Amino acid sequence: MSTVLQSLSTELADAVQSAGRAVVAIHARRRIPASGVHWRPGVIVATHHTISRDENITVTLPDGTTVPASLAGRDPSTDLAALKLVGQSLPTPSIRLDTPPKVGELVIALGRPGPSLTASWGVVSRVDGPWRTWQGAEIDSLLRLDLAIYDGFSGGPLIDGAGRVLGINTSALAPGVPVTIPGATVERVVTELLERGTIRRAYLGIGTQRVRVPESLARKLELQGDEALLIVSLEPGGPADRDGLLLGDVLIEIEGAVVSDPADILAKLGGDRVGRPLTARVIRGGQMKTLQVTPGERPKSRAA
Amino acid sequence: MTAPMTAGLARELAAAVDELRRMTVQVRTRGPAGAGVLWDSEGSNGSALVITNAHVLRGDQARIELSDGTVARAQVVARDAKRDLAALEFEPSRELLFAVVRDSPPLRLGEVVIAIGHPGGLVGAATLGIIHRVEQEREAGAPRWIRADVRLAPGFSGGPLADTTGRLVGVNTMMQGSLALAVPAAAVEAWVRRSHTPVAR
Repeated sequence: MSTVLQSLSTELADAVQSAGRAVVAIHARRRIPASGVHWRPGVIVATHHTISRDENITVTLPDGTTVPASLAGRDPSTDLAALKLVGQSLPTPSIRLDTPPKVGELVIALGRPGPSLTASWGVVSRVDGPWRTWQGAEIDSLLRLDLAIYDGFSGGPLIDGAGRVLGINTSALAPGVPVTIPGATVERVVTELLERGTIRRAYLGIGTQRVRVPESLARKLELQGDEALLIVSLEPGGPADRDGLLLGDVLIEIEGAVVSDPADILAKLGGDRVGRPLTARVIRGGQMKTLQVTPGERPKSRAA
Repeated sequence: MTAPMTAGLARELAAAVDELRRMTVQVRTRGPAGAGVLWDSEGSNGSALVITNAHVLRGDQARIELSDGTVARAQVVARDAKRDLAALEFEPSRELLFAVVRDSPPLRLGEVVIAIGHPGGLVGAATLGIIHRVEQEREAGAPRWIRADVRLAPGFSGGPLADTTGRLVGVNTMMQGSLALAVPAAAVEAWVRRSHTPVAR
């Protein structure tokens, strides 16, 4: 007699078995290995934070063999990395891009922190629109999970009840909370990593801090709000320095949009912005001043 | 909205838990109660066995409370601190429902499992999870632990971890973070056979 409960159990085990064929262990740090997914033929997706070396990376396949892999590129801002695997015939998982996960949907996180596959189950606890990581990368949608995470699960897939991959799990994008990088973001980042090795991002070379503009000044300058960004650091010779921004300038607008949070600047600094001037309005010495600033390409590991 | 699957699931889960509760006992010595599994001791003069964890017991005597509230005095007849297993013997006053060990098929990763225990004095609590890891064949020998993604708490120790058909897959023994570690039912079976030979009286 086949019951609902038994069918559920069998279907979950089937889903794990089918998706698990594309989940590998990544040996690229001192501690226990982390996980990765054979996303496209010959391409493994993993998390950046679990790859602490660029050379001597090996991958343990589902059949237990360990083979070398080469790092094709990494992006700290989305915590994704792409590895290339030569001469292996591993299946790729089916990736669910058409229907976004729903809050309450039953999901399984897979990992391979060693030769054995591991699984934990739970539900999607939050789904939201696009968001930015602390390093400014745009993630297509916010996916938070109510499930237990285990060592080495980062880089593993989140799968649905049919074994389709919804995204890549990481513990590094939100403190203490598992987050899934959605499949669409992974697709986009992996494509760019394979082409260029890094994710191109524009940058200005400034550090800012939120400040409140005195009411009288805000009124005098006819500002829309009273929050703005004080430039507290300026990279010598960087794009902003070169184009005449000064320490102590209070940044009000970029491209006509009010900036009141450092993330507002990041939002204007996509990869396509490199070399294309932005119009910035600042308060300098009590007066409004408009400048043209041309973002440069952000060197590795630098914020805004 | 009608939800026949969810309704069926709820009904079946309740029935499965009900049956598992009948094979689960409370084991009391000093301190908080642990759990135990009713075990068929095959022909030992009408006495019955309870399997629990060695760490649940203080001393050689325990008080067993069955799911229907019947209380019995039990004697420790075997104990293995290393495997964290113990067997208790008692004289049942009625017919009992014993645990049925799942010999086959082998456990699958992701399979649903149910744990029963008495966390914080909450008698017969159930929690649901999945098999977290299955040892690969080449990792020599029988697996030492069943690892399940099931949220346990103190009070589940010694109780059953069962599959969706109610067959015993392990005896819940400890937590490792949010992971449950259970002694595999086959290992319990072998241990009972080794360490407890019923003596005709």
